[in-house]
This record gives sequence, structure tokens and C-alpha cells, in this order.
Amino acid sequence: MRTCKLSLLFCAVVLAACKQSSPQAPEQPPGGAPAAAPAATGEAISIGATLPLTGSESRIGGFYKEGYELAFEEWNKKGGISVGGQKLPVKLTLLDDTSTQATAASLADRLINSDKVQFLLGTYASHLVEAQSVVAEQNHVPYVQGGGGAVEIHKRGFKWLFGLLAPVQLLSGAIMEWVDAQQAARKIPRPAKIAVVWENTAHGKDFRAGVKDFSEQHKGGYWIMMDESFELNGKDFGALLGKVKNSGADVFLVDAHLPDYITMQRQYVTLGLCHKIQSYGARGSEKQAADALGPEHVRYILSSVWWNAQLGTAGLTKDFADEFKARYGRSPEWYQAVSYETARALFLAIEKAGSLDRDKVREALASLNVDSILPGGKLSFPASSGQQAIYPFVVQQNQPDGTSPIVWPKESATSAGVAPNPDCSK
Amino acid sequence: MAQALDLAVSAVLLAGLYATMAYGLGLIYGVLRIVNLNHGGMIMAGAYAGWWLHSSYGVDPYLALVPVTLAAFAAGWLMYRLLVRRLPRGAAGGVQSLLLLFGVWLVLRNAAYLLFTGNDQTVRTSYSTHALPLMGAFLSVNRLLVFAGALVTLLVLHILLTRTYLGKAIRAVAQNPDSCTLVGIPVERIYALTFGLGTALAALAGLLGATLFSFNPGFGSTELLKSFVVVVLGGLGSVAGTALAALILAAVEVFAILVLPAYLTSAVGFVLLVLVLVLRPGGLFGQRVLA
Amino acid sequence: MKLKTLLPPALVVAALALLPLLHRDVYVHNLITLAFLGVASALAWNWLGGYLGQVSFGHAAMFGVGGFVAARLEIALGMPMVIAWLAGGLLAGLYALLWGHPTLRLRGPYFSIATIGVGEATRLFCTWWDWLTGGSSGLSLPVEPELKYRLYWYGLALAAVALAASWLLRRSSLGLSLLAIKSDVDAASDVGVGSVRLQDLVLFLSGAMMGICGGFYASYFSYIEPGDMFGFDRSISWVLMGAIGGIGTIAGPALGAVIFVLLRQYLIASYPQLYLGFFGALLVLVILFEPLGLTGLWLRATRRPILEEP
Repeated sequence: MRTCKLSLLFCAVVLAACKQSSPQAPEQPPGGAPAAAPAATGEAISIGATLPLTGSESRIGGFYKEGYELAFEEWNKKGGISVGGQKLPVKLTLLDDTSTQATAASLADRLINSDKVQFLLGTYASHLVEAQSVVAEQNHVPYVQGGGGAVEIHKRGFKWLFGLLAPVQLLSGAIMEWVDAQQAARKIPRPAKIAVVWENTAHGKDFRAGVKDFSEQHKGGYWIMMDESFELNGKDFGALLGKVKNSGADVFLVDAHLPDYITMQRQYVTLGLCHKIQSYGARGSEKQAADALGPEHVRYILSSVWWNAQLGTAGLTKDFADEFKARYGRSPEWYQAVSYETARALFLAIEKAGSLDRDKVREALASLNVDSILPGGKLSFPASSGQQAIYPFVVQQNQPDGTSPIVWPKESATSAGVAPNPDCSK
Repeated sequence: MAQALDLAVSAVLLAGLYATMAYGLGLIYGVLRIVNLNHGGMIMAGAYAGWWLHSSYGVDPYLALVPVTLAAFAAGWLMYRLLVRRLPRGAAGGVQSLLLLFGVWLVLRNAAYLLFTGNDQTVRTSYSTHALPLMGAFLSVNRLLVFAGALVTLLVLHILLTRTYLGKAIRAVAQNPDSCTLVGIPVERIYALTFGLGTALAALAGLLGATLFSFNPGFGSTELLKSFVVVVLGGLGSVAGTALAALILAAVEVFAILVLPAYLTSAVGFVLLVLVLVLRPGGLFGQRVLA
Repeated sequence: MKLKTLLPPALVVAALALLPLLHRDVYVHNLITLAFLGVASALAWNWLGGYLGQVSFGHAAMFGVGGFVAARLEIALGMPMVIAWLAGGLLAGLYALLWGHPTLRLRGPYFSIATIGVGEATRLFCTWWDWLTGGSSGLSLPVEPELKYRLYWYGLALAAVALAASWLLRRSSLGLSLLAIKSDVDAASDVGVGSVRLQDLVLFLSGAMMGICGGFYASYFSYIEPGDMFGFDRSISWVLMGAIGGIGTIAGPALGAVIFVLLRQYLIASYPQLYLGFFGALLVLVILFEPLGLTGLWLRATRRPILEEP
């Protein structure tokens, strides 16, 4: 009798909670059957996305939200996307995936199967993208992401996944190219000793791989004296930095999130360390770091990013930078640029396909080749790289006057950069 | 050789922080036999309190120590009176106190997210990056201050526990609560005061930590675990034992980099915790940790 | 085992098996699959935490080991899914024995603290150990389009097996011995209850089932990475499920798991900034007012005596 009652209670709870969790949705066949275009009544195109708005990646998640929203607002101001002779507005359904992969995947499931979105935009952080893209692939939904730069994401042969972030190996590769130019100009010794320290995440692994690959290709030019990873949110880097000091390196390369950058650099400075060339990967020029450390302690740090506001001197890039400034009152950084461009790429593909049919939009994305605000000026998703966009990174260096001009690639450089670090001889 | 000296100095300074973090946990367990899983939450709260006072009112973190510690003491006292007091004592209460205080920690974390967002915060003072040169190594001023704070706390605690009536009452209750009631010591009041004191110590440690590192609402979990290691290693009933245990933990963590990949040195503390629990549950210096 | 007691659960299982034919909502379907996983894993946790009374805050270690072993076997050897799960479970169970056998001597909170240490050490080591886990990049399994939908029935079977095992474990003489050990381990061995072997058995079963659940998770998401699999938050979720439903009861954690999984989805979608605090407050209230959670409330409501020890 007791088990009977318990069983019934169990069922009741399951059903009730399920009803509660999923909003009422119209009956539709399951699976990813390609949907026909909705009735031509000017109905909005529904696009879904999740972002880490809370949790460990929430800072950057918030920036990505700005980029997405800017793109949506801009296109809606124009009336929307031209589809089959009609202008359809775009609607973003944005959910918080709390920086956990299971939530990112489950919410993608919900967006597709319950909220019935037409297309998906990606979340931020490689592991979240990797988990979420599986759901898109299984349901045959075009998934355009600008939040995951790890190459593993695109090595799975997915057809519905398109990535706007260039591989992180190229990030460190770009830094090494600038270092190489300094070596050629005899500013640093040959061979140069490198100490590379990286956060143990997919991002850090790829960063380190980029450094290793470069030094292997330039035999005799570089010796990697130290190659260590560290746990995120480390508190004490004393021992690690001691090892760096002992390695006698000329070049100190780190890949870290912002809090670790600040903590490590503070301990670095306090220990009296100084290297001829120093970089924190994609970190370096953040105002928060300058505030937390003091501007005199972030001088000459290199950073390599996917986009920089200084590229915005003309055309598309300038339009974007101006628009962002008008909307948010400050200059955009690469986070907002990439997310904006991600949304824009999807819009352009829908326009190109002239239809809301998922297969057609997928084909349009696969063959997309448009002008872009990204470095290099062009955006496409080559099949050879698993539909991950490839374009050059932009390397900047903090200068004593508080600016951080681009020093690489030469075409966009506004300054040659300084090496070796003049503070070190003091 | 120079590297060994660097590492040794690093270890000693780190030990100061670990010791300060462990006192509160050890005190509460020693007297109330309750494992305070909210210890991490209070460390985080102390850090945020200090940061907030500094960024909103420009109060120097070391001056903020006094108001923050007092506030935390009050909070801990309240927590005891409202929540912890209702738990059954003894073995049955053990697991429940774990879960209860863990629940409180979750609530505190959420409160921090709501009030301050999940972004990482730093406390930057004019002397944040100053260092004193010593025998070729550089000693961070902040770390020296934290170390000094640890020593002072150790001294104050020692004096409190051995020279004052309150301290003796606390130690008596730790040994045998029933007999204490017989001789007229207000056991419940001592419990409340001790819980408040332990909480205050946690907040103090958090505030000191905030002067050294960046932190976010997740701050405190690793620190909690390291505190466990120190408490278990050092045993109970010995403030000096805690300090020595902190030194051992810090030394093992720091010197491990000579034999292990840097990433794995962060696992050293946890492995040490399990080993000590399994092999020497009595700790190295104090009374048996297991009742 | 009487037919009378067997019938209701069997009917429930049959009903759940047929449910997908009645509705076409894929999202709810997948959500229930996750709930099944929650049920199986919460019950596995409860064997150690509730029956034996040793609350583990580090069970994610076995979940992760099982998941990665299963995934590696599927990728490297093309092993069929369920066999891989079983292999993962076996290794996870053995791993549980490895660290658990010496640690089970510790009573109460000290065992729990040790499990936190084990959980974190395992996470850090496995994140470093590229060969097993792919390091921080994780492991990707080939994506099969219909698999996720079919996993519903595998999940149902897993949950049913776990529930049956929970019932058997408790109602058998083994269960009685466990209760004795939980109350007073010394007295139990005094009367000849072979405590060490029994504790090891429960440890192994708990770890093995957790490992199988890890394998299931890997197949469901087709991508796993160590930070997520071994995370402390994951370990905590089982503690919460147990506490909400009733630690130590037979089916309480199952109920707790269903509520946890579904409630969490709802909260995250609607109030993402509050869900941590919500579960924390719930935990506090449960401990203060009804230590046996929902089962305790239900027992009170039906005015049955509470025979289980908290």
C-alpha cells in the first residue's frame, strides 16, 4: 500500500514538475525536421542563445550580451532581414547558462525543442560551446558561435557548427611572430629562452601549443626553458614565479584569466622580476588591471586579441566602433566585436539564403565570404578548418603613456613596440 | 641555493596566512565539535567587507580589520543562537551541522553574487606592490603584514585562552561540557561566544587574503580545505600546533614544485589531508581529532 | 517478494516507458532522461551516505572516473556503449575501494572532510592526466542523432535497477547489518557483523553505480571535460538531493533527485541569480525542521512513526 502511494506520488511529481519546467509549446513533430518558412506575415525570426551571465565566466558573458544586443538592435532599426522580398525583424531569446556545460546543453535543447527558435548563436567559453554545439548538430540547427577558440570544437566534422573565433594557437603564434621580428632586429638574444606558463584550460593548452609549434618551426631560435600549467584562481604563485626566475628566461609568456593575471603580476612585480618580453596572452591592456596593479606595473606587456578598436579607422569597423560608443558610452573590446560579428554573420547568411529554411541557411553559412570588421577584413568559414574562421590576431603593447597601440601585424601596426623592456635594466 | 631561500621565505609567509585561516575552524571544532562548513563563506564575506569599505569609503584594509571582525563576531553569534543551537549535539548532529552550515554558505555566496556580481575584485592600496629587499629576495609588504597579523592573532588567542577567565572557561567546555554546567559555567553562552569568535577569525583571514589576491564569490572553498588540512595536522588544543601545521602545509606545497609539475602542486594539500586523516588522525601535536 | 509490493513500481516503470508515445515534447523527454540519471546517481550516493551513514562530498570522483573510462573505451576501442558503461563502473567501484577502504575507519564529519579532499585531488590529477581525460580539453564522443532520444529508456532502466537495488539492500539482512553499523560500528562488530567486508561492498556498489552514471552522462552529452565531471558542485548536488528527499530512506533521494533536476532547470531559466541561495535556504530549512526531508514530511502527514534514524 505504501509503495503504491509512493509510486503514484512519484509520477505525479514528475509530471507536474515537467509541466512547470517547459512553457506551453504548440504540438510539433520531434527531432530537427527542417522547418518551412513561416507564413509571410512579418513574423519575427526567432534566434536563441545562452550566455554565462552568472558564474565564473559572467564578466565576459556580459560583454558578449552587449555585442549580440547591438547587432539585433541595429538590424531591427533597419526593419530586419530581407527574406523572400519581405523584411522580417529578428528576436533574440537569451538565457543564462550559469557557466556550466550541462545547463548550456539543456537550455539549447529547450530553445530548440520548446521555444522553437529557428537558429542558435553560441555561448562563451570553449567547453560550453563544445557541449552546446552537440545539441545543435543533433537537431540540425545552424549554430554560429564566437565564444570558443579551441580547435577541438571544430575537429568533430560537424556540419551545422560555424566558429568565428580564430584558433588560440594563432594567438600565441602572433605574439611569437612579433618576438621573432625583435630577434631578427637583434633586440633579444638568439637563441632566446622562453618560459611559458599557462592556465590549465582548453584555452591555455592551445596557447602553449602555439608557442611550442612556433619554436619547433624556428629551430635554433628558441629554447623553451620552462613549460608549466597552473590551476585557475590560484592564490599563491610564489613558487611558480620562483621557478620562472630560476629558468633564466628572456621571454615570459603567460595565458591567464584576468584575476590570475592581476594576482600573478602583482606577485611578479613584488618579487622584483622583470623580463625582456612579457605577455599575458589575451590579457594585458585591461583598464581593470591597470587600476588594480598601478599603470607603472603593466608597462610593455604584450597582449594578443581577436580584434582591437584601433582597427576602426574606416569602413565597417569604424561604423561598428562608433555605433557601440554611441550605445554604451565606451570603446568596444574584442568580446563585443566578435559577438556582434557572430550575430551579423548569421543575419547575412539568412539574407543570402533568402529563406528561413535551416538547410539553406546552413549552405549559405558554409559558402559565406563577406567583408568583416575582423582583422584581415574578410570572414568565411573554410571547410578545411572545420568551419572555423582563420584570420590574423592583433598584438598590442602597453606603453608608458597609458595607450596600448597595435604592434603586429605590420599592416595594422601603429607602433613598432619596445623590446627589451627598458624597466628591467633599472 | 638562492632558489631554496626564495621558496623558504615564500613558505613562511604563506604559512602565516594559512594559520590565520585555520584558527577559527579549529576553535569551533575543538569546543563545539562542529565542523563549520560555512568557514569558507565567512572568509569570503570578510574579503568582500574589507573590499567594500576600501572601494566605497577609502578605508585602509588593515584599519578595516576592527569593524569587520566585530561585525563577523556578531554575525557568528547570531548564527549560533538562531541556527546551530537547534542541532542535536554529538554524533547525530555531526552530519546535520555539516549540511546546515553548508546551506548557509550557499546562501552567502548567492548574496555576494547579487550584491557584487561574480566579477573578480582586488584591493589596491598605495603599498600593494611594495617590497622589502632581504638577502637578495624581495618580501612583499602585504605578505609581511599578513604574517604579522597571524603572529599577533596567535599571541592574542594564546593569551585569551590561557590567561583569562573566558579562555579557561572555553577550554573547560571543550574538555567536558557536562562538568562545566555542574560548576556553574554557562555552557550555552560559551558556545555562542566561541562560534562568534571562530567566525570572526575566519572573516579576519578573508580580509587579509583580500589584500593579497583577487577574489570572487567562489573564494573560500580552497581556503576551507587548506584550513582542514592545518586543523587535522595540528590536532586540537594547541594554537602553536596549528601554526606549526600551517608551516608544514605551506612548506610541502611550495617545495613540491621542485619535484612535481606546477599544476599538481595544488593537489598536494588535499592528498596530505587524506593521508593525515588516515594515518595520523591525532594530528602531529595535539589531542586526538576524532572523539 | 510479494506480487503486491512489486506491482505498483512495475506499473510506474511501464507507464514511464510508454509516456513518450503520448507526448511529442522532445525537451521534456530529454529532461526526464536527466531526471532518471539523477535518480540513479542519488540512490547510489545514498547507499554510502544514507545506509552506511557516511556522507560523501566527493562522489564526483567516481562519476568522473566512470565517465572518462567509458568514453575512452568507446573512442579508442569502439566498445559498445553499455559495455563501456559497465567497464567504467567497475573501475570507478575499484577506485572507490582504493581510497574508501582506509578512510571508512573515520567516523562522521571526518570521513566527509576526507571525501572533499579525495574529490578535489582526483579532479586536479585527472585534469592533468591527459591520457585518460584529454586534459582540460575533455573528450568528445561521436554524435549519433537518435541516441539521445533512445537514452530515455536506458535511463529508465538504470533508475529502476538502482531503485530495486536500494530496496533489496535495505530490506535484506545486509541492510539490517548496515543499520547496525551506522548506529554503532563497534557494537556491530562485537556481535559478529562483518563490518569491514560489508562496508567495502557498499562502497564498491556505490562507486560502481556512480561510475555507470558517469558513462551514461558521457553518452548523453557526447562531450565531457574534467572540470565539469569532477566538480565540487556536482558532488554537492547529490548531498542536496539526498537531503531534500530524505537521507537514508529507500526512495527519498530518488524523489529529491527528480525535484532537484526539474526545479533547477526551472530556476535557472527564470531566476538564475537566485538558484544557489534557494537550495542553500532549502537545505537549512530541511535540516532545522525536517531532517528526513520530503520523506519525513510524508511520514508525518500519514502519521506513521519515523523508524529511520536521521
